[in-house]
This record gives sequence, C-alpha cells and structure tokens, in this order.
Amino acid sequence: MSVSPRGKKSTNLVLKAESRTAYLCMFPSIIGLIFITYLPLLSVFTLGFFKWGKGAPSPVYVGFENYIRLFTTDPYFIDSILATVYFSLLAVVGSMIYSLFIAMLLNRRVPARGFFRAVFYLPYVLPAMAVYIGWSWLYESNFGLFNFVLSWLGLEKVRFIADSSLVVPSLAVIAVWLAGNLIVIFLAGLQNVPKVYHDAAEIDGANSWQRFRHVTIPCMTPIIFYNLLMSLITNMQIVVPALALTNGGPGNASCFLTYLMYRYAFISNQLGYACSISFIFFVIIAVLTAILFATSRSWIFYEGDDR
Amino acid sequence: MISQEGLLLRRNSRNTFHSRRRQEKAANWITFILLVLLGALVLLPIWWMFRSSLMTNAELYRYPPEFFPGKWLFSNYAETMEFFPFWRYLRNTMTFIVPSVIGGTITATMGGYAFARLHFRGKNFLFTLCVGSMLLPTMVTLVPLYIMWSRFFHLVDTYWPLIVPHFCGGGAFNIFLIRQFVKTIPRELDEAATIDGAGPFRILVSIIVPAIKAAMIVVALLLFIMLWNDLLQQIIYINSIEKFTIALGLAQFKGSLGTDWSKIMCATCMSFVPGVLFYLIGQRYFIEGIVMTGMKN
Repeated sequence: MSVSPRGKKSTNLVLKAESRTAYLCMFPSIIGLIFITYLPLLSVFTLGFFKWGKGAPSPVYVGFENYIRLFTTDPYFIDSILATVYFSLLAVVGSMIYSLFIAMLLNRRVPARGFFRAVFYLPYVLPAMAVYIGWSWLYESNFGLFNFVLSWLGLEKVRFIADSSLVVPSLAVIAVWLAGNLIVIFLAGLQNVPKVYHDAAEIDGANSWQRFRHVTIPCMTPIIFYNLLMSLITNMQIVVPALALTNGGPGNASCFLTYLMYRYAFISNQLGYACSISFIFFVIIAVLTAILFATSRSWIFYEGDDR
Repeated sequence: MISQEGLLLRRNSRNTFHSRRRQEKAANWITFILLVLLGALVLLPIWWMFRSSLMTNAELYRYPPEFFPGKWLFSNYAETMEFFPFWRYLRNTMTFIVPSVIGGTITATMGGYAFARLHFRGKNFLFTLCVGSMLLPTMVTLVPLYIMWSRFFHLVDTYWPLIVPHFCGGGAFNIFLIRQFVKTIPRELDEAATIDGAGPFRILVSIIVPAIKAAMIVVALLLFIMLWNDLLQQIIYINSIEKFTIALGLAQFKGSLGTDWSKIMCATCMSFVPGVLFYLIGQRYFIEGIVMTGMKN
C-alpha cells in the first residue's frame, strides 16, 4: 500500500525528466519552425501589403496595391504562372510515366539490375548548375548533339532553348531525365506488391496488360500519390535553368514564378512586391496540394488496414 | 483411368509451364534489351559532355560529328583549371555543406527521437506544424529570410545564412525519416536501460543512435544532395568571388567564356565528379534512403 504513492511520485519525476529532455531535443526544431518556417510565412503574407525597397527605403503600407498591380498591370505575372503550370504539367506527367515504366522494367528478373538502377539514378546526383550548362551545349542551335541527330534524320535544325515555343518542353525533358529518385521509389513499391495477387490474376486468365491495370496500379496508388505530390512541389519551384541559362527568356517564355520573384526581389529591389508573388505562389501550391489530397480518397487503394 | 487422366493433366500442366517459362525468358530478354537502349540514352548526354571536353573547338563544330574524340586532349582540363579554380570552389562548397550536413543530421535525430519516443505537452501540435512545413515550398520564405539575414544580422556574403538553418531541425522530412526508424526499435531496450537508471538523453545517445546509424547516414546523404543542387540560396547570399562555390564558379565561367564549349564542358565534367564519387561510395545508403522516404507514408 505504501509503495504506490512513492511509485507515483517517481513516475512523475521520470515524466518530468522525459518532457524536459523532449523539449531539449525539440529545441532546434522549434526554433527552426518558428524562425525559418512560420514567422517568414507570416512576414510574406504581411509584407505583401507593403511597398519596400525601390522608392521606399522603409516599408510603407499600401493595402492591396501589390496584388492589384500583379493581376492588372504587371506584364510578366500571368505569363509566368502559365509558364510554370505548363512546365510542371509536362515535367510531372513526363517523369511519372518515364519513371514508372523504367521501374517496371527494372522489376523483372534481368541481369545487371543493380547496374541499370545506378545508371538511371545517376543524373539525380549531378549538381543542377552543371547539368543545365551541359544540356545547353547539347541543345546548341547549330552544333549541339540534338541538332546533329536531327540533321542526320534529315530534319530541319531547331533552336531548342533559344526558341520561345520550345524552351519549356526542352527544359521539361531535362526534368524527366533528372527523375531518377522517382524510379527508385516506384521500384521499391513494385517489389512490395504481393506476388499472390499476380498469381491469382494469372490463374483467372488475366493477360499482362490486365494484370498491370488491375493489380499493379491499384497496389501502387499510395506510391503514385506520394511521387505525384513530391514531383509537383519540386517542379513548381523550377528556377535553376532560368537562373543558369535562359534568364527567363527567350522573350518571357521561361520566366517561371520563382524566377520572377527572384528578379523583383534581388535585381529590381522591390521586396514587398516580391512577397506578394511569393504569397500567390504559396496559395497556388496549397490549392494544388489540397486538390490532390481531396481527390486522393477516391483513387488511392489502401490494402487492408495493417498500417 | 484415373491415373492416366492425372498423368495427362500433369503433362499438360508441364507443357504450359514450359511454354510460360519460355515466354517469360523471352520477355526478360526484351526487357534487358530495352534497358540497355534506354540506359544508353540516359548516359548519352553525359558521354557527349565528356567527349566534348576532350576535343578542340574546331572539332566540335565539324559535321558529321565524331562520337569518340580523335585525340583525347586531357590537356584541356589543365588549361581550364587556369581560369576555373576548381579546388578553391570545392573547398568553399565543402565549407558550408559539411557543417550543414552535420548540424542537420544531429538535430533531425534529436527531433525524430522526441517525436517517436518521448511524451511532452504540445507534441501533436508540433507534429502538425512539422507536417505543414513539409508541404511549404522553400521558395515562399526566401525573401523574408533574406531580409532577416541582411538587415538584422548583416551576414550577407558569409556562409552563415546557408549553414545555420540546417542546425534548426534539418527539415521536417528528415525528422520524420528518423522518427519512423526509431519506432522500429523495440521499446524493451529503452525500458531495460531505464531500469538501469539511464535517463532519456542517455538512451538516445547509447541505445538509439547506434541502432539507427544507417538512417542517420541516409539523412546526411539526402541533405548533401539537396545542398549540392541548391543554387538560388548561393546566388543570393554569396557575392564575392573568393567565396564562390562550384555552382557559382561554373555560372561565372560560362558567362565569361560564352562559346568556348570545350573548356566549359571541362568545367562541367569536373563539377560532376564529387557528386558521382559520393554517390558511388554511399550508393547502398542512397538507394535505401530514397526507398525509405517513399515507403514512409
């Protein structure tokens, strides 16, 4: 009888020590969440209503002026949303199909699988800057690799990233080439599809397309969702090729949202205005993510509830 | 009768079995050939950059082009190094990457451990905040962070703005990765240590960390790749040429040389090397890490 209060006291002590350690462990993350994430997010929202930088050495409250300017008089903004969405669409769809296809090939019993996996993953570990500079040589208008291939095939030369209608698709090709991480995730997912399902479908007479459509795809939906989300967030933030190669051009064809924000903030020094772009960007990402999550319930197949 | 029927059935099934085996074998060969072709296609750009780095510019502009350089001009690399101080750039890059990776790994481990094992008030709330921050693109907060580093701390043109954020949790993503891992470690181990009088911090250091070493390496590698690929932050925060990283140096080199493609390709190929080496050394962990990040949800 007399043990129980003492026991309680010591558990209390233990709990106290535990939560003290917990806060200590969480301390860096809490600082990060406050100062690196949420406070800056709040400032983006607030600064969007201020004029700061060029013509206003200290912030001046201007209400919705920045947003009105964005949607009515800014010559680049709408085009840059369109360019970003166009690029993301091509890059996301392209890299999802490419990486799922390669992963399905790699999932078969073939020799040198590890080697192939390494090959397809390799572009992902190359530094972005070097990748884009290297590709700009392949895309060169007269002597680049792809123009050699085209003239070898008897086709007209093409200016790729120097052509305003081709620059976005050309950059999307690079994004697909870089999608090695998606392949590896898909491959792991494919290896987790229970073999029994395939066997059962085969006994029922399903051909390989039917098995792909009705066994593989449903089992893979959680992975597809994850890859889709990550690939979308990554590709919407596209900025390096514009910084490294195109400067947003030719014309404004590759002036992606993030690049536009960079230009306003760091080249023409309009910090408040740049923040209003950041905030719109945040809203776009949030809406897209919300749509993905909302629709996910209808197409994601969760196998049992063992997790 | 029955046995004959059974025999027939068995023979039939063996036949279909064999034809299926043959079919599968054929399919595997087709797969293999496809993989060789597609793999070659993926490697082609890299090969083309490399072969261009070993040729003279005159050779580069010749039609039809040669797939292999006539003479392998490794001297191009020596000439490039005269204008492209690769070692200095590499040292500068490592100056901010190494501390960032260490800081990120340690703080992510601490956070992941707290989320996985410890009870404290506000845990769920913090957890939600972490999830939210994972979906928040880093681009959004770029300008306010720049304002913070430039106007409050006056630390532009130092590596601090690139390093310090990684000592603040190492990213929600990595915290979750560690959390998932800690959860797979049997609680009995902690409990045994508790009975021996170890506090939660001792448990972290002496039981959890040794057990999740692999996951920590994965986090370190993922952080490395992320920083290795990041250009925008470097452009914004680093201004003076002595502090240039590989990416910045490369951009400047390209800008000043314009169309001297063979030298530009030399610099490009040099910049590939550290990442590729790092990848080859840590390949097992890389693949594991990518897989874990995908399986985690």
